Parts: sequence; structure tokens; C-alpha cells
Amino acid sequence: MEPKPQKKWAMVVDLDRCTGCEACVVACHAENNIPTVGAKEAAIGRAMHWIRVERYYEGEFPDVRAKFRPVFCQQCDAAPCEPVCPTYASYHTSEGLNGQVYNRCIGTRYCANACPYNVRFFNFYNPVWEKPLHLQLNPDVSVREVGVMEKCTFCVQRIKAAEIDAQAEKRELKDGEIQPACAQTCAPRALVFGDLNDPASEVARLAKSNRATRLLEELGTQPKVIYLERESWHDGENS
Amino acid sequence: MVNAIYGLYATPDSAQQAVDALLGIGIKDRHIAVASSEPFENYDFTRREHRTRMPWLAVAGGLAGGAVAWALTSLTQKSYPLITGGMPVSPWWTNGIIIYELTMLGAILTSLAALLISARLPVWGAQVYDRAVSDGMILVGVVNPPQTSRIKISEALSSTGASYVRQSG
Amino acid sequence: MTEKTPNQITEDLLRPIFQTSWKFFAVVAFLGAFVVAAFAAYAYQVYTGIGVWGIRRPVFWAFDITNFVFWIGISHAGTLISAILRLANATWRRPVTRCAEVITAFALSIGAMFPIIHLGRPWLAFWLIPYGSERQIWPNFRSPLAWDFFAINTYLIGSVVFLTLPIIPDWALVRDKAEGWRRRVYTILALGWRGTPRQWARLESAMHIMAIAIIPVAVSVHTIVSWDFAMAPVPMWHSTIFGPYFVAGAIFSGIAGLIIAMALLRKFLHLEEYLQPVHFDNLGKLLLMMSLLWVYFVFAERLTAWYGNDPAEMVVVWATQRGPFAPLFWTMVVCNFLIPFPILAIKRLRTITGTVVASLAVVIGMWLERFLIIVPSLSHKYLPYSWGDYRPTWVEITIMSGTFAGMALLYVLFSKAVPIISVWELKVGKHGVGSRE
Repeated sequence: MEPKPQKKWAMVVDLDRCTGCEACVVACHAENNIPTVGAKEAAIGRAMHWIRVERYYEGEFPDVRAKFRPVFCQQCDAAPCEPVCPTYASYHTSEGLNGQVYNRCIGTRYCANACPYNVRFFNFYNPVWEKPLHLQLNPDVSVREVGVMEKCTFCVQRIKAAEIDAQAEKRELKDGEIQPACAQTCAPRALVFGDLNDPASEVARLAKSNRATRLLEELGTQPKVIYLERESWHDGENS
Repeated sequence: MVNAIYGLYATPDSAQQAVDALLGIGIKDRHIAVASSEPFENYDFTRREHRTRMPWLAVAGGLAGGAVAWALTSLTQKSYPLITGGMPVSPWWTNGIIIYELTMLGAILTSLAALLISARLPVWGAQVYDRAVSDGMILVGVVNPPQTSRIKISEALSSTGASYVRQSG
Repeated sequence: MTEKTPNQITEDLLRPIFQTSWKFFAVVAFLGAFVVAAFAAYAYQVYTGIGVWGIRRPVFWAFDITNFVFWIGISHAGTLISAILRLANATWRRPVTRCAEVITAFALSIGAMFPIIHLGRPWLAFWLIPYGSERQIWPNFRSPLAWDFFAINTYLIGSVVFLTLPIIPDWALVRDKAEGWRRRVYTILALGWRGTPRQWARLESAMHIMAIAIIPVAVSVHTIVSWDFAMAPVPMWHSTIFGPYFVAGAIFSGIAGLIIAMALLRKFLHLEEYLQPVHFDNLGKLLLMMSLLWVYFVFAERLTAWYGNDPAEMVVVWATQRGPFAPLFWTMVVCNFLIPFPILAIKRLRTITGTVVASLAVVIGMWLERFLIIVPSLSHKYLPYSWGDYRPTWVEITIMSGTFAGMALLYVLFSKAVPIISVWELKVGKHGVGSRE
């Protein structure tokens, strides 16, 4: 039997299902030990939401619509954040993820400037969890210190855990076995995660949809997040 | 104190005459010491030292620096291949920049080393020198003069317009 | 003006070394206070976190990198004046070369601190050095920041060598004129220099090679610094013009810095007979040329952006020209062109005072230019939902004023220890004897 091709993790976001509830944001915070920076810091733009839901209004009253787009690290295959990091803290893994190695990061913030999606977040201070909130920390994920850059990892800790389990049980990973926190929480099932290189996976099937687009595709970053939307946002007349 | 006889001259022309006089009485070129506060390039008494291989040494140093840079970048990148941004593991474009910089650094450091070694700097021991050189006088003299020639040397130095002649050692 | 004898020249140019008035200590104390404050502010920043700065998402670089590029730019003065004029055998350069080379060495040292100052974890800055580590830490040579490390170090070493080599004969001069503890110190510094023909010939060879080598290094350094921006896909950063644009801007600001330094030295060290109006006139003409060159580059870049009408770029173009950054932008245009151009173009106005006024304007304008390249672009990247703004905090301002004070302080201390005008080169020039350098 031929060996299976290398994994290529991707996410499909169905914008026609997204209700803008932001449960994914909360789940991500909980899973990945993301600090809440406080009102003062958030007011000057230092909030750290690895996944955020961008809300745009379209049309004029009474035909106004709110449109929601969850944006998180696009795990670009030609990521502009990777070659600019002087210490290889940002690099491309063999499974297609953009890896962020916290221990190597010295905080030049070049990667955050280079990222066109603004999905990288910096620890401006040492994060603090007042007791007893420290009990909510996920032991599978490290806590980053001041001066370190962080971003969405597609919940790489869950990916690794599932891969280790599958290897121990001497079986292949099943499609849908790995659920990042956001995909797990999404009530309308707008977020789907899977292996793009597996033709039988749901992401591979959805990626071939005629509703599929990618964000800022013209920049050549080759993002691996596929957005599904029934119509382009720019011709809002026909619904 | 260094064993030497020297005279101090106010103008480069008289210093040149003094050197000629010393050569005339049979003192070898390498035993004649000259010290001045300016280069005086157009005069013969400085010209004999002008040939140098320093530019070639600088080029060699540059090539060495470039080779080091090539090894530092290419070989390390290939031994621990990490993909970033879809770029090749060992791109010539970016490695070329580092090779260029270390080439220039190699040329610079080699020139510095060549200067220090060939000019024999720093030198701490006693030498033929007089503080009057800093007032613009040019020192011309003979180091370790043989006993038999001392009188002749003194005469040669005095006759060519020395401000004063000093014997030491 | 009376023609000076060599001994008078020696006396005039060594006087600052041998005579110290209370004013020296007052100036050192004043400047030192700012420097100490900057260090204290930085210590506070390292202890608390970079959050004490005003940077935020998406403007992750602001004052820190503005100052970095600004000081590296100032450091291009010495190279141009000293090396190119040496190679062109322009004799009017002689009193000016050391002032210029000193600016390079110190401005570069200050500029080179900023890549460390701006780090989130500066105690790990040594990871940029390629050293064998059992933790497999190694720099990424594809990163412009790694290129910065090599380029700035090469330029720093090169310009320190370029500065120090011709000082050795002058240290010998001071050694011979000094007594007591000064004599001992300068004996060591002079490395036993005697001025033998061999030493002079080797020194001049080395200087010639250095002058040839340092010019391409200087060009490459500021080009590589500009590539910190040009390599990132940010609107108005990803431009092929950045290399030459930044080098021209650096030389521009460098000459302005040099004129200011020379004017101050002339006044405080009583060097009126050595730094003459003709020197300021010549440098003023160079400054005028660089001002026109700067206008050319800015116009070319903005015309291309405006004509191309790329939506992301146009946002940044309008933000600087009409939007929130407009006051800073137009101040920059006034300072870099509208003030210097008439002063430097009209011969009657191109006096020492005139060139100094023009230079002060240029220094301000060029600092603003660096700021306006960085912050408006970062504030307005491709996704409008993530646009942001920036305000500096007292920590950034304190550190910045500390660098200006530090530069002045280093200069004051240097001119106390070393003759600020190269004595032997000046004497060579007075003879009219052609020099190979």
C-alpha cells in the first residue's frame, strides 16, 4: 500500500453559517491560555484574540446586513512572517503549519509587521492570572512571558495529542478526529478542520466548492484557510 | 638608551641632503633611521618604503571573508534545513548579502593587521626618537653606528644643516 | 586671517586637550543627566515590559525603529565626506574629516543599540550572533534583521578603524607635548609611533584601502536597513526604491548633522581659523544637492503610488498627505526642502548661520520622514478592521532624548581626548604637497 501523503492541515470557514456569536473567541482563550489584557490595554489596541470575528455592515438602511468573518492565522504556505524572523521562531512545519516557537522568540515584532492579516499578538507585559483563575489554565499549553509573540496554532497541542494516540493505537487518524477549540465550539458548524491532502476529508470536499475564496489571495501568501460565501462581498445588491 | 647618532633638520630638503650624505659615506640604507611628523611623500628619503603588498593582502582577506560567510550560511542551512516562507533552504539572494558583508570585513581587518604588523606597531621598547620631531623637525640618524665611523657620521650630519646633533648610547 | 605656523597650529588644536574650564564639566553634567535618565527609563522598560511604550497592534514599530534608522542615517556623514573626498583628493576636506568620522562612529554605536533596545526579550539579543549552541539556536540568514547584524557590525568595525588609524600620529603629537599622567596615557595610545617613512607609507596605504572599502559598506548598510521595511508586504513599504532612497536620505541627514557639529565645535573650541566659511559653503552646496535628490525620490515614490491607484497604498498616501499624519508630513516637506532650498541656493544666505539653520531643519525633517515611513503604513495595512494608531509615551521620549544627549556627550568627551581636527593632515595640506590619500 502506498504511504499516505504528508498532512496539510487547513480550515474551512463557512461565512454563510457564521452568526457572529464569538463563542470561538472564548473557546480559544480558554484552550490556549490567552491572557485578558484588561480594559485599559484593550482600549489602545493590545487585546489578544487569536481568533477574532470581524464585523462589517453592508448596504443602506433598511437593507443593512451585518456580515461576520472570523480571522485567525491563515497558516500561509508562503508566509511573509517566516523568513523575516531572525531566530527561526516562526517557521513552516512539515505538516503545513506555521509554527511559532515561543522559546526562540526575542520579540523583534518583525513577523507581526509582515503579516498582512494582523493575526499575530505580542505580550506587552507578563500575563497575570489572579488566583483562583490560574486553575483554569490548560496544562497542555505553555504560558508565554513578556516580549514573546503568539498566534493561532490550529490547536497544535490537540493535533499532536491525536497523532500520538493514533500512532500508539497503530491506526490512521480519522477525519474529524482533531477538533481545534474554535471548531469544537462553533454551534452553526461554520468552522471545519481537516487534512487538505486527504481527498476524502470534509475540508478537501468543501475547498472544491464554488463558494470558496481565500482572504487577500492576491498577495501571494497562499493561505490555507478557505472561506465559503455565497456571493462576493463587493456586489451586495443581489441577495 | 638606544645606541645612535642623529641630527634634527628643519626642512625636508636638508633632511634629504643628510640622508644622501650618509649614503655617501657608506652607511647602509637599513641602518639609517628617519622620523618625521608628516609623510613628506615627494622626497626620496621616504620613497624607498612605498612599495607594499597591502592591497593584495586586502583582496586575499576579502576572499577569505567571503569563503567563511559562504560556509557559515550555506553549510549550516543545508545541515539543518528549515523552511520559511516557501523560500529555498539555502537561497543565493540572501546568502549573497552576508557573503558581501563578510568579504568587506575580511578586507578591512586584513588591512588593519597588515598595517600593524608591517609598521611594527605597537612597539614599546626604546627607539631612536626625539620630542622635537613633534615640533616639525625631521630626525635623520644612524642606529648602532660602528665605532670607527662615529666621527664621520657626525660630520656628515652636521655639515648638512642639522639644528643639532645628538649622540646617545 | 593670518597664516599660522605649524607650531601655532599644534598649539591651537591641542589646547582643548590640555586646558579644561568649568564649562566642560557643566556641559558633561547637563548631557549626562539626560543620558542617565534614558538608562533609567530603559531599565524600567526591561523590568516592566515593552508595554510601557506606546506601540500596539498593528503599529509594532514606531519610535524605536525611527530612531534606529535616523541614527544609522546620521552615521553616513563621515563616510561620504571623508572617504569620497579623500579619494577625490579634495583638499578642503582636511579640517573636516575627523569631525565627520567621529560622527559616524558614535552615531553608528547609538543606532546599533536600538535593535537591542526594541526587543521584547533583550537579554536574548545574543541569539543573533551565529555561535554553536547545544540548544540549536541559530540565526535565520534570510531575515533582514540578520543582514542588519552583519552589515552594522562590519560598518562599525570599519568606521572605527577608519577613524582611529589617522589619529595615531596625533596621539604621538600629544604624547610629545604632554607631561605627567597625560604623557603616560598617550604613550600607550600612540602605540610607539615615531613617524618613520615605513610607518607613514603603511598608514597611507591602509587609509587608501579603507577609503575604498568603506564606501560600498556604507551604501550596503543603509540599503539593508531599508530592506527591514521593503521585504515585508506592507502598503508603501514593499517598494523597490527603498534602497537608494534611504541611502540618499542618510547622506542628506548626515551632512546636516556634520554641519551642526562643526558649527558647535567652531564656537566652543575657538576653531574659527580652521573651520572657515568656505567649509560650510562647500558642505552647504552638498546639502542643497542632497535636498533636491530627496525631493526627487519622494516625488518618484509618491507619483508611482498615486498613479497606480492601488487601494491599499492610496489609503497610506492620503493618510500622510491629507489625513491624520498631514501636519507631520507637511512639516517634513517644509523642513527638508522649503527652508533649506532658498538658504542654500542663494549664495548670500549660505553663511555659517544659514547652513546651520538649514541643517537643523533637515535633521528635524529627516527624523519625521523616518517616522512617516513606519507608522502610517503600519497603521493602515490590508484589513481595515485592524487599522490602528500610535501615541508615544514618556519612556520612548526619554530614551530618544538620551540618545541625542549621548551623542553630544560622546562628542564632547572625544574632543577632550583627541584633537578634533587632524593636525598632521592639516599641516600636510598647508605645504601644498600632494598626498597619495
